[in-house]
Amino acid sequence: MTGETAYCFAADLGGTKLAAAIADARGSIVAELTEPTDPRGAAYVAEQIAACADKLGQTVGIDVTQPRHVMVGIPGAIEPRTGRISLIPNIAGLEDFDILGFLRGRFGPDVAIENDVNLAMLGEHAFGCASRCRNAAFLSLGTGAGLGLLIDDKLFRGARGMAGEIADLPIGRDPTSQIPASGGSFELEVGSFAIVDRYRRQGGTAAATVRDIFRLLEQGDEVAASVLDTTARWVALAVVTLQSLLDLELIVFGGSIGVRSELYERVQRDLPALVSRPIAIAPSQLGDRAGLIGAAWAAGQALR
Amino acid sequence: MPSRPTNSGTRQLSQRSVFEALLHGSPISRAELAKVTGLSKQTTSEVIDAFEQQGLVRPIGRTSGNVGRTAVLYELSPEGGHVLGIDLGAQRLTVALADIAGRVLAEADEPTDSRGGVWAIDQIARLSDRLARDNHTHPSRIRCIVLATPGVVNPKSGAIEMSPNIAGLGNLNVVGLLGERLGTPVVLENDINLALLGEIWHGCAQNVENVAFLALGSGVGLGLYVNGRLVRGENGAAGEIGYLPIGGDPLQAGSRLQGCLEYQVGATGVMRRYREAGGSNVDSVRQVFERAQEGDPHAVEVVAETARLTALAATAVIATVNPQLLVLGGSVGARADFADTVARILLQLSPRPVEIRTSSLGRRAGVVGALSVALRRLHDEFFGVAELAAALPLPPPARRSARQ
Repeated sequence: MTGETAYCFAADLGGTKLAAAIADARGSIVAELTEPTDPRGAAYVAEQIAACADKLGQTVGIDVTQPRHVMVGIPGAIEPRTGRISLIPNIAGLEDFDILGFLRGRFGPDVAIENDVNLAMLGEHAFGCASRCRNAAFLSLGTGAGLGLLIDDKLFRGARGMAGEIADLPIGRDPTSQIPASGGSFELEVGSFAIVDRYRRQGGTAAATVRDIFRLLEQGDEVAASVLDTTARWVALAVVTLQSLLDLELIVFGGSIGVRSELYERVQRDLPALVSRPIAIAPSQLGDRAGLIGAAWAAGQALR
Repeated sequence: MPSRPTNSGTRQLSQRSVFEALLHGSPISRAELAKVTGLSKQTTSEVIDAFEQQGLVRPIGRTSGNVGRTAVLYELSPEGGHVLGIDLGAQRLTVALADIAGRVLAEADEPTDSRGGVWAIDQIARLSDRLARDNHTHPSRIRCIVLATPGVVNPKSGAIEMSPNIAGLGNLNVVGLLGERLGTPVVLENDINLALLGEIWHGCAQNVENVAFLALGSGVGLGLYVNGRLVRGENGAAGEIGYLPIGGDPLQAGSRLQGCLEYQVGATGVMRRYREAGGSNVDSVRQVFERAQEGDPHAVEVVAETARLTALAATAVIATVNPQLLVLGGSVGARADFADTVARILLQLSPRPVEIRTSSLGRRAGVVGALSVALRRLHDEFFGVAELAAALPLPPPARRSARQ
């Protein structure tokens, strides 16, 4: 790659890790890297993103001050008109930090930010298992729950960029019980903290993280199996909910928990009893790179 | 009988512009038309002459009050073409007739033939014929018919699926049978989608880009409108929220058949829950609501639970699609007391900002929406330009026919 060639810079910012890539003008990744997200919060994270661009530039031998387009995935909802970010639980200070302004200061005007799960949806649509779909969703399950939606071949963001913020789907608590004081039912059942908490409540002791629970499951731990059964049941009900609302062709499972076959296969097993019409679900083909690949692709699209 | 103007290219675009100006600004003079469309006076006059010959426009008077010569004013002629909108509900059948300018000329309704199937189709044909005859509209002048039906219209096969509230429709070729009876092609569309389009054209959702319409009546359903388009889903089944896993055990027999939510909040569900709670016999949901207003404790409880489940369904909609406006409609959903309760619960349930309104067209919403789709099709038939993807915008409301 020479300094003359048009290129893009893409990043996928998560609560625990930051992935970044240089892509060519078609949005195909040329070089990429991943590092732990700077825990000190928004301003440091923004600097870290810019530093990633420099490092990648050195790797491929170009000066990354003027990429033709920059696309950064953000783990929150972005108001389409104002660019204001909300619903970010895991990066301190990002809601009040003008990350778009910062990035434009560094890279020039052609910078965009997009919800990270939306970008994962685009990644799967462009290069993954949803490549033939016009109506699909990317269901991300990890620390929290999020959804990227493709409707009639286009990303669907909702009136204020909050479409797919499914943390408070009314799924999980007994629906005939008292009205919960606030939302958040679904995430309170399937978020990673909820899963670990469920494991402890059911008498398990040795797990500190969901990863531990998956390891225990492999060793034949019955509590771990039961906890995943319960979690999968709630996820299956979310799938039924999405299907009845939007009549999708495919729901892609992603995120650190969503991609695990131990969960995905349980959901698959539960679905036939819950619906009269079949629902296609599939694990993410691009795995934890879906967001970054989607960001690079979207940056390439912006050059067209 | 006018037919599609045959000239192509720029002339086609000119005709479309003049038609659009007439649609939105009649009565209007030739000079004013030229000003609005940006076309030359010569071109405008040629188009108007052609339209007049085709019977699309007619002179309606002269300008007055200004100094100087007066000018002839034109409007779209009611003879230009008619459309029929039909709303086949589980309880009521409504038919409406409009002219090419979107003026609603007449409406009629009667209880739906409870035998359903071919009887319902026969009833539609009879009511439509009568409406046309009473308005001295020859059936051949009706250029397009849109039928609102409950259930899912499969976009590939044209069949009506999942319509548990009207008997015997699923096995019928409704489009074929009705088209044959009425002598005009019939287009089917889901009733809730059309109610939503009705609210967007003439009702409470005008000029909103992102609307969800939640209807609760005999059944429960959702219409979604995003960036100028209906969201239909892969098989036309988007918005079938009767199947939401809310309000009971989704594995229960009734839930499997009717859908979990509909089993609880659909008309039969509300009446069943009232009976189970110890209420005496009722024939309709309306009676349950009337008794709740009279203070019958069983009815009050059933209505409150119905509102709570409806609010939970709305929460799922808001979390997933983030509408700018949520319209509550349907014979139950549009009741002011009920809608207020739902809105109050939603405020507690959902942290998302959403505006909530009740349907302003009430039970006319479906038929008005059917007319809007039929009109767009008629306009497109006359003035569709392949290069222009967008349909001609429909005229605003409050244009009633002089005949009424």
